[in-house]
Amino acid sequence: MAKHVLNCTVNDEPTEVLVQPWDTLLDALRERMGLTGPKEGCGTGDCGACTVHFDGKPIASCLLLAMQARGHTVRTIEGLGKPGALHPLQEAFVKHGVPQCGFCIPGVLMAAAALLTENPRPTEEEIRYGIAGNLCRCTGYTKMLAAITETAGAAAGRRS
Amino acid sequence: MSSVMKTTRDVKGIGLSIPRPDAPEKVTGVVQYVADLSPRGLLHAKLLRSPHAHARILKIDVSKARALPGVRAVLTAADIPELKRKAPTRAHAVLAIDRVVFAGQPVAAVAADEPAIAEEALDLIDVQYEVLAVSADPLEAMKPGAPPVADAGTEADTSEAQAHGSVAGVTTEAKPAKAVNISQQARLQRGDVAKALAESDVVIEKTYRVPMVHQGYLEPHAVLAQWDTAGNLTLWASTQGSFNTRSEVADVLEISENRIKVIPMECGGGFGGKIRALCEPITAILARATARPVRYVMTRREELEAGMPAPQVIIRLKTGVKRDGTLMAIEGEAILESGAFSGAVLAVSGVFLASLYRWPNFDVKGFEVLTHKPSIAAYRAPVAPQTIFAIDSQMEQIARAIGADPVEFRLRHLQREGDKMANGQPWLSNGAVEVLTRIAEHPLWKKRAEWKASSKDGRLRGTGLSLGGWLGGLQPTGATVRLNPDGTLQVLTGQVDIAGTNIALAQIAATAYGVDIDKVKITTGDTDVAPMTGLSAGSKTTYTVGVAVMQAAQNARNQTLEIAAKELEASVHDLEIDDGKVVVRGVPNKGVTLAQIGKKGNLYMSKVEPVLGVSHPAFSVQAPAFCAQLAKIEIDPDTGELTLHDFVVVQDVGKAINPLQIEGQMQGGAVQSLGMALTEALMYDDKGRLMNPSLLDYRKLTAADLPNIETIIVEKPAPHGPFGARGVGEPPIVPAPAAIANAVEDATGVRLTVLPLSPERIALAIANGK
Repeated sequence: MAKHVLNCTVNDEPTEVLVQPWDTLLDALRERMGLTGPKEGCGTGDCGACTVHFDGKPIASCLLLAMQARGHTVRTIEGLGKPGALHPLQEAFVKHGVPQCGFCIPGVLMAAAALLTENPRPTEEEIRYGIAGNLCRCTGYTKMLAAITETAGAAAGRRS
Repeated sequence: MSSVMKTTRDVKGIGLSIPRPDAPEKVTGVVQYVADLSPRGLLHAKLLRSPHAHARILKIDVSKARALPGVRAVLTAADIPELKRKAPTRAHAVLAIDRVVFAGQPVAAVAADEPAIAEEALDLIDVQYEVLAVSADPLEAMKPGAPPVADAGTEADTSEAQAHGSVAGVTTEAKPAKAVNISQQARLQRGDVAKALAESDVVIEKTYRVPMVHQGYLEPHAVLAQWDTAGNLTLWASTQGSFNTRSEVADVLEISENRIKVIPMECGGGFGGKIRALCEPITAILARATARPVRYVMTRREELEAGMPAPQVIIRLKTGVKRDGTLMAIEGEAILESGAFSGAVLAVSGVFLASLYRWPNFDVKGFEVLTHKPSIAAYRAPVAPQTIFAIDSQMEQIARAIGADPVEFRLRHLQREGDKMANGQPWLSNGAVEVLTRIAEHPLWKKRAEWKASSKDGRLRGTGLSLGGWLGGLQPTGATVRLNPDGTLQVLTGQVDIAGTNIALAQIAATAYGVDIDKVKITTGDTDVAPMTGLSAGSKTTYTVGVAVMQAAQNARNQTLEIAAKELEASVHDLEIDDGKVVVRGVPNKGVTLAQIGKKGNLYMSKVEPVLGVSHPAFSVQAPAFCAQLAKIEIDPDTGELTLHDFVVVQDVGKAINPLQIEGQMQGGAVQSLGMALTEALMYDDKGRLMNPSLLDYRKLTAADLPNIETIIVEKPAPHGPFGARGVGEPPIVPAPAAIANAVEDATGVRLTVLPLSPERIALAIANGK
């Protein structure tokens, strides 16, 4: 079967790649664009490890066909911050010692970043539900909550 | 390491709460797992798996699959000469030969240009099965005449049992019993149990049941295999022990170990499930058949259907005590469902049941039973959470029955250092008393009566606690510490960092040598270059590799001081290392920098030996580590919904090398076993087929299900640990199920003995009043 041309914006860059019609967005990011930050933990939308921003909203990229991203804007963990220029959430995750095995972390960070964009001063419960679609087996979530809470508080402090 | 604030001269290493050096790579998605590797010419593997739990393979036709464009290899057992009909382990059962013994067992393998092509090829393989009768329930499987799982004459694999059995010091008998599916038996006995039970005032008999559960690591099993033209194999693996992976693959492929290089990639969680080889041999065989690099990544469905979960554990206990609380006797029977291959750990269960508390008379039997299900493996403190669920629930009920304070009752009967375990070995120094005492001082425990009395709107409130632990593992290991020409240190081990242990090892090296942690780099080497080392398992990485690193760093320090002594014309005994310099004590301006010493070790024509500290110790003394946990809960009696309001973990870590990382271990371990307590179960139908093969239906706890997990670190130094440290990883997964069940009884008055404590189980128990 012929490959299709996918045009979209990925991490602020206009991007053109060839994808198979059955490729998911996650497949296209990982296998066609070399963006391996988003992870496949289940492939069925249950674990959240593949979370990316799609037009600014968090989605499970394993549940979207790649061609459905044509003309849309995608941000992956690679577009959130870089080593040496971390996003405040990434800084807080490092400082609080959140990552253990690290496999869930890109998805959790994308979910948390989307949450704080939509709701800059979330309650503890709102944070818990904001990352409830992201399974983590190592941390018990406690340090994640501390890191996200601190980031939200710091951002609020800067604004006021 | 930006967050190390150098405010005083005593920064060094031990005791600092600092992030892992790889944390920035992990939060940016830069760190690489096996599935992130795509070498040129990569092929993708897929396995065709049996839909039947027990069947004879009559015929396999792969001709259509082989003809599909893009398919590079289709293999069945007939194509692999190394395969033996009687596979001694799961790893040897690369592809089924003439019989499948669990649903999900691989029967054919495909390598293709794209994963989708490989999947399409699987659909084109035609397998004809003759479906056979299934042993799906361990209690049925034990009976004579049950459908047999193992081929007649297959030796039980006791390597895992012996590894952990020696942890518990119990000899496990592997001789086949009368009932064909009982693959191991053990028995611990002392005194006259029947007489003591007859003389008891309060006899309680209960059967506890914990289903098979999955370790739940987020990264599915994955491996990349590539052969060079000289016949050497490289495996990029997600493993808890690269040397073990190498040995197992060498054994299956019948090639020498020095022809295999295992490169341990970042491991996206293991928890015991990535110790034994699983998909590595077939991937290596596909790579050999195609002369191309082949990557295999299991799907989540495959993980759940055909991974290596924890055994189902069924424990019947009968205990007798006097009305004044004197322990009389315990009689027990532990049945571990091992799935299709032997490998369960009977000994740990027996030791905790018979001798965590001071039973003067005991008779505890253990049975490992084979069934037509995926074979089991270790899961973080193998069988300890299930065993403590039984014995701690039992202790709580006894205390309630005789009106004793539950903490005082446990403390009164808890075995102390020097007391004999059921295997005849003495209990070693441990902090069981300390953690139990500490948690009983917690305000949530002191105010438990008020919390219970505050129940309102028909909801029921309760508090429970539990004590559990792990005996501690041992394995020989090795480490080197080099001094670099710029005065920094380079630590090399072969130990896979699955739990933040590398930063702890670097901290140990910093303190033992005498430099600050930001001058230490630690590397996990592959099996070609690293000192041989054991598994990252058994809560023994910091305890054993920590000693190797400490000794190697001390060795490097001694070499450094001797070089400096010559330079400074001083006695070694008058020298100290401070702020990157070796100085003569009391003469701060007389010194030589570490960089100067390092440079001379790497200078053309230099006569100064390069500093290379080496240690490769073996060990004989374990360090048991205990943990106490407390749960404050609320239950809706109509729906059975349980809300966890607070959860406290108190753990003895010996010496906290890095409190930040230890807290993470304590919180994560607790939440794993809260999942075991509340939601998780691999559910099988009577044909041995998994009914919930997705993470929607195999329900792990999310952030929305949980409160913050409070951690309290207790430090009772381990006599032989590095700077007094003990193992940290396993103890926190042990007590939670019992703590929850005890809290449920406190809230509702009903005792639940079957996990998980789902809303329907709780609601039904309340409705039935028991």
